[in-house]
Amino acid sequence: MRQHPFRTLVCAAMGCAVIFLLSAPAIGQTPGSVTKTAAAAKVSENKAWTAPHLPDGTPDLQGVWSNATNIPLEKPRQAAPARPGAYTNRQANGDLVLHYDNAQFGLDRSRNVVAEDTREYLVTTPDGHIPALVPEAQKRIAERAAFTRDHQWDGPETRPLGEQCIMWPNEGPPMLSEGYNSNLQIAQGPGYVAIMQEMIHDVRIIPTDGRPHIASDIRQWFGNSTGHWEGNTLVVDTTNFTDKVAFQRASENLHVIERITRVADDKIQYEFTVEDPHTWAEPWGAKIFWEKESTPIYEYACHEGNYGMRNNLSARRAMERKAEEAAKKEAK
Amino acid sequence: MDNKRAGSMTALAVVLLALATLPGWAQTAYRAPRMADGHPNLNGIWQTLNTANWDLRGHAAAMGRVVALGSEDAMPPGLGVIVDGDEIPYLPAAEAKRKQNYENRLKDDPEVKCYLPGVPRATYMPYPFQIVQSTKTIMFSYEYAGGVRVINMDKPTKSPADSWMGWSNGHWEGDTLVIDVTGFNEDTWFDRVGDYHSDSLHVVERYTPRSAETLTYEATIEDPKVFSRPWKISMPLYRHVEKNAQLLEFKCVEFVEELLYGPLRKHPRNDNP
Repeated sequence: MRQHPFRTLVCAAMGCAVIFLLSAPAIGQTPGSVTKTAAAAKVSENKAWTAPHLPDGTPDLQGVWSNATNIPLEKPRQAAPARPGAYTNRQANGDLVLHYDNAQFGLDRSRNVVAEDTREYLVTTPDGHIPALVPEAQKRIAERAAFTRDHQWDGPETRPLGEQCIMWPNEGPPMLSEGYNSNLQIAQGPGYVAIMQEMIHDVRIIPTDGRPHIASDIRQWFGNSTGHWEGNTLVVDTTNFTDKVAFQRASENLHVIERITRVADDKIQYEFTVEDPHTWAEPWGAKIFWEKESTPIYEYACHEGNYGMRNNLSARRAMERKAEEAAKKEAK
Repeated sequence: MDNKRAGSMTALAVVLLALATLPGWAQTAYRAPRMADGHPNLNGIWQTLNTANWDLRGHAAAMGRVVALGSEDAMPPGLGVIVDGDEIPYLPAAEAKRKQNYENRLKDDPEVKCYLPGVPRATYMPYPFQIVQSTKTIMFSYEYAGGVRVINMDKPTKSPADSWMGWSNGHWEGDTLVIDVTGFNEDTWFDRVGDYHSDSLHVVERYTPRSAETLTYEATIEDPKVFSRPWKISMPLYRHVEKNAQLLEFKCVEFVEELLYGPLRKHPRNDNP
């Protein structure tokens, strides 16, 4: 089967199907690309390679990177049929193996820049799953879901954050592949690392001068990040999230630690650990590889062209009017 | 102090004064700290201290646009930032359009809707921005609406399509960072009084260190569909020297949802007709 369900989608504005898929709970289907293999990633280890540094001695992470991947975040609940031979995320003709389950990132077949990776899932927990939600989180999430179910068409605030053009799912931190336009650019100045994500042109500027976090009453969509270098690894600590934080329905107490290491000229290893006792019983994390890209990132102006929000709400109001009129007619 | 010494000091003062009044002297006299590649280090968090975002031209204080906001919305006075006269050389038809923009400014100013501000307006909005500079790439990150530009310092490349923040190619002329910006759409304004441009806008920006904590910012604006000749603005940029200075989020999208989509709510708010 070679269907391209997403390729023809025009997602210049909001309201495209991808958002709904990404915001839906993960359902394990039967992904053809998942087979039982070693959980280690295949990153070519060139012994002669030394990590590039800036003139001041700071490791050089700069460039345009793709964090697209076709490996699911969690181990699929349903085992995939075994395939003969060594595991690869490409088909015999060189095309990427794609499976459109909701745990998968890199939905668009036109995306061909994906780090070679032989793992069957990205999380680093022993059982391959995100730890169970604590009762408090189950309650909070159920209440939120019920509210959304009843009020999702009421107004802009109850639409998904991506449709509002406030932030895209998976922009993080932690930063996961975003479904499409999973591109990042890193620029470094003395004492700062800036990470720009293509989606909604969001920039995180991470100071590496040892400063503390900002006051805890300042809450932000991306939290507040401080960083430091451990050898060649940039370690970023992020707190101060809002109570509407998007990552895996965590609470405002989410604490994210990211470890970003260049492991080859064309590859970055991105690891993260998240903890939030109000959401998960224990901390968990994942590891993803970013592949270097050769073209610049283009402006993604989301809000400015947000016809999706206007169309969705006005269509809903039209449907309600129609239903009202039909009910009136019936009453006569 | 004997007369001879006083006389020589006066002479020195006269020479210094003469030097200081020579054009460009103040700029070339300051030597900025260098990056490893030998270029001036422009890294930092910068902001203007002027009212260009309200009106590029000189203007007296004036009443604001929203009665309920009283003096909070009043227009602060300003001396203007246009070089060589206080005039923007509109073509006649464009001047009419500007007047129309002014009349409709509350509805049509892209800033009201939290749209990306374009260039040069991003520079002199009343919010800070940060320059993250390395050799090949310079990133400008603006607090307002999370605007961002990546300046290509390599071989110049052509804009692939029009955009809000334009397409930026940079190079150094001595200590001045020169950025050539093209590829604009026609949807941004220069200020809150309706000064505008077309998609033929071409901006050349110049960032020159003038002291440890200030830069001189100049922008030459060219748009043959709207202006009869190129014109220029100039202003200092001031460094944020607070110990913990950093950009915070100003994602204004959520603050304009009622404005843009309020009437489409299931239950429109009565207090906001």
